[in-house]
Formats: sequence, structure tokens, C-alpha cells
Amino acid sequence: MIETTSTRGTPESTLRNEENARPAGAVTPRVNIAVDDTRQSRAITSVKAQVENLNFYYGQNRALKNLSIPIADKQVTALIGPSGCGKSTFLRCFNRMHDLQPDTRYEGSITLHPDNINLVGAGIDPIEVRMRIGMVFQKPNPFPKTIFENVAYGLRLRGVRNRATLAEEVEKALRGAALWDEVKDRLQDSALALSGGQMQRLCIARALATTPEILLFDEPTSALDPIATAKIEELISTLRDQVTVLIVTHNMQQAARVSDYTAFMYLGELIEFDEAAKIFTNPSKKATEDYITGRYG
Amino acid sequence: MNMGGSDPVEGHTAKAFDAALSDLRLQIVGMGGLVIDQVSAAVRALLDGDAAVADLVLSRENKVNELERFVDREAFRLIALHQPMASDLRMAKAASRITVELERAGDEAKKIAKFAARVATGEPQGPVLAVARFLRHMAELTTGMLRDAVRSLDESNAEMASAVRARDSELDDEFAAALRQILTLAMQDARFLGATIDTVFALKGLERIGDHAKNIAEQVLFVASGEDVRHTKKAAEAGTPEK
Repeated sequence: MIETTSTRGTPESTLRNEENARPAGAVTPRVNIAVDDTRQSRAITSVKAQVENLNFYYGQNRALKNLSIPIADKQVTALIGPSGCGKSTFLRCFNRMHDLQPDTRYEGSITLHPDNINLVGAGIDPIEVRMRIGMVFQKPNPFPKTIFENVAYGLRLRGVRNRATLAEEVEKALRGAALWDEVKDRLQDSALALSGGQMQRLCIARALATTPEILLFDEPTSALDPIATAKIEELISTLRDQVTVLIVTHNMQQAARVSDYTAFMYLGELIEFDEAAKIFTNPSKKATEDYITGRYG
Repeated sequence: MNMGGSDPVEGHTAKAFDAALSDLRLQIVGMGGLVIDQVSAAVRALLDGDAAVADLVLSRENKVNELERFVDREAFRLIALHQPMASDLRMAKAASRITVELERAGDEAKKIAKFAARVATGEPQGPVLAVARFLRHMAELTTGMLRDAVRSLDESNAEMASAVRARDSELDDEFAAALRQILTLAMQDARFLGATIDTVFALKGLERIGDHAKNIAEQVLFVASGEDVRHTKKAAEAGTPEK
């Protein structure tokens, strides 16, 4: 292992002092060139949710097969894989979306930390789960209400009635979704008058308003143009400071750009899970390599 | 599931990508062939005092430079247009690096050819002939290493690339022995000091070409395994991490 010293953040005064302290005529390097090797390995230090032997059934059809993945706290985890590989099905397990469909069944566990509840456990209320785990869908789906009411909706559901608190929380969520500056003067306009990218950020603000612990994104930019996509990706990068993010995307470059960890799934199974930088430069499994290099067919 | 064949270039769903990668590899192999020829011709010109061969090497130097620019540009285009991932990305990056190594090897050949041209027009050939056996042997070693390095890329053969790396120390030993011989000569007879220095540069040039071949082999290993093996050989031999 190469021993490295970081000079980042070294105050200029320190550098000057070292220079002054040098004896006359002594030859010492002016700049200590350090190699920042910390990006080489990013072991998960804190797990927000641990998926263990998760199986999911649509009737008799086993759509997810013994998935075990750690979801790193306040990091972005991307799920990639061909259509039908089960990545969206997996994502929807986190907020119990499948409960809305008849004849579905979970096996195994998704343990949410720190209180160690099993999100797919039998005694767990799906409504309570959705309070803690927000979701943003492929197509922006704002309610046909005002911009303000879209964001305030979740808070009202939670019983927040105080106008000042509502206004404060709505602003906070809109700022968090990088939308505030664009809509602050028209909060009472219909949300449906916004552009596609703005609508999607409004949906993110709506999800953020209830301060979720995990935010699920299911192909959040596939209906957006490159600029709006870049804004959402930038937003996701910022969001990781406050929330754990799980994102399903078909766009490999997007997964590479936004995620810290990436899971490759195929036919309901987890093929490979690793740091995104490893997956996209040197995956361990041939199947992953073939998929991300476009040899899958 | 059909996850493509074992060929590292072919098998992409997008056939245009197959073609772009394949072209890139072919261009490098072609450039490699030219550089190998430059090296052996330069040494031949030096040993034979052949001005025509020296001129041929010098006249082809532009072609080597052109190929370097072309391969580098194609690798850059491939990254921009196809956004390669994993082994494909490693290949694009390695192509860019390998073309620089080949161009530098070509530069060394050019310097030897310039010396050969001077020898052909009157500079004393004595020091050259004194180490002719070394020059010939080192030229065989370096062109062999270059050939195998380029072949290992063409055939995606990591074993061959590893073998090229291992052969570099033989070349270094040969260089050291040649240096001892020519220094002994210089001490005995100082009349041809200028030509002696030029001969040392020629020997050093061949030793450097071996380094370039080794660097190419290391890029091939990077493409094959994703591991950066640069500057690890001596450390591994010593059993300690290199600082």
C-alpha cells in the first residue's frame, strides 16, 4: 500500500512557515505532491438497510430470487439490468408498493436501521413504511393541485396544520429539490403548468417534505431532456447528504455518474454488487461485463 | 442468456462499435509493425554504415508520428461517440497510451538512424564495431519484445504480455555489459570520444525501446485484467511495496 499524505486544505500560512523555516541554501521540494488514494476503496461504513434472502412472488412467479444486498447509508445505490430483470420489482419492495396488487408475496427480509424493522415483515403497516420511504417515478406525477399543495400534501396527511410550519417546510423541500428559485413567485399556480423537469423536481420536493430516510427513484429521467436530466442527477448527488438513495436506471452512464454502489441484476438474481467505479471499469463477473459493454443480447 | 463471445473486440450489439474497436486495434498493430521495422533498419544502417537505409528510417519517421496522432484521435473519438465501459474503456485508454509508447520507440530508432547517417558520411565507426555484437543482440531483443507486446494486444494474450515484461531485465543486463565494454575501450583509446558517446546513446536508445515494449505489455495486462501493474515488478521481486 502506498503511504500517502493529503495536502488538501493545507493553509497557505503553514506552507509559508515551512518555507521560512528552511535553512538557507537547503534544497527541499516546494510542493509536497500527495496521491489521494482514498477513492480506490469505499467499503460501506454504515448500512441503512440490509436485504437478506429476499424473494418476491407474483402469484406463482418468483420474480426476485434470494437477493442479499447492503444499502449504504446516505449513499446512492443504483440498480441496473435488462428489462424484466426485477430491478423495479426490487425497488418497490422497499415501500411495499406490491401490497396494492393482489396475490403477491414477500419472503426474506429488508431490515431498516437503526430500529431494525423488517420492511416486508407481516406485521408492518405499509402506510407507515411509505412515510419513511419516498418514491419518485418515471413520469412526473404531480397532483392536479397548486405547486404549494403538492408539497404540503404529505405534511397535511401527517397532521401538520400550522400555516407557518407548512410554509416553512414547503420552502425547505422546494429548496432541497433545487426548485425554489424557479417557483417561489408562483406557488399558487397549478403544478401541471410546470415543465417536465420542474414537475419531476416537484415530485422530489413532495417526497422530501416528509423527510424520508430512503428515497427510491424508478427511472427518474427517462422522460426528460438532457438539461433536465443533468439537473435531476445533480440533485441526486446533493441529496445523498441527507437521505439514502436507491435508483433504478436503464442509462448506464447515469448509473456510473450518480451512484456510489451499483447492483447488476439478471432474471431476478443479483449477479454482482460493488462500488460503481469498480463495476464500470473492471467488473468481476463476465455477465456484468457483457451487459455494461453492450454485448448482451 | 447470450452474453456474447470471448473476443474482446467483437460481440457488441452495436456492430459499429465492433468496427471502431477493431479498426483501433488494427491501426496500433500496423503502427507497431512500422516501428519494429524502423528499429531493426536503424541498427542495420548503423552496423553496415548504410546511408540509404538510414535515410529510409528518417523518411518514415513522419509516418510514425502521423499514426500516433491518428490512433490517439480515434481512441478519443471512440470514447466520445461510443462511451465505452469496462474492458472497452480500458482498451480505448490503453490504445492512447500504447501509441505514445510506439512513437517514442520510433523516436529512438530515428536517433540511431541519424547517428548511422553520420557514420556513413565519415564519423568513425570503431566504437560501433567494438560493441556490434551487443547492438545486434539488443536490437533482436527489443524488436522481439516490441513484436510480442503488439502481438499480445492483437491476440489479447496476457501470458505473452507478462513474458515481455520479464524479458526487460535481460535487456538491461545486456546494456550494462555493453556499457562496460565500450567504457573499457574509451579508456584505452580516447581518440573516438565523440563516436563513443554516440554509440552509448544508441545502446541506451535500444534499452529505452525495451522499456517502451514493457510499458505496452503493461497496458495489455491492464486491458485484460483491469489491474495497473506499472512499477510493481521490482517491488514484487524485492517483496516490499514500492514507495
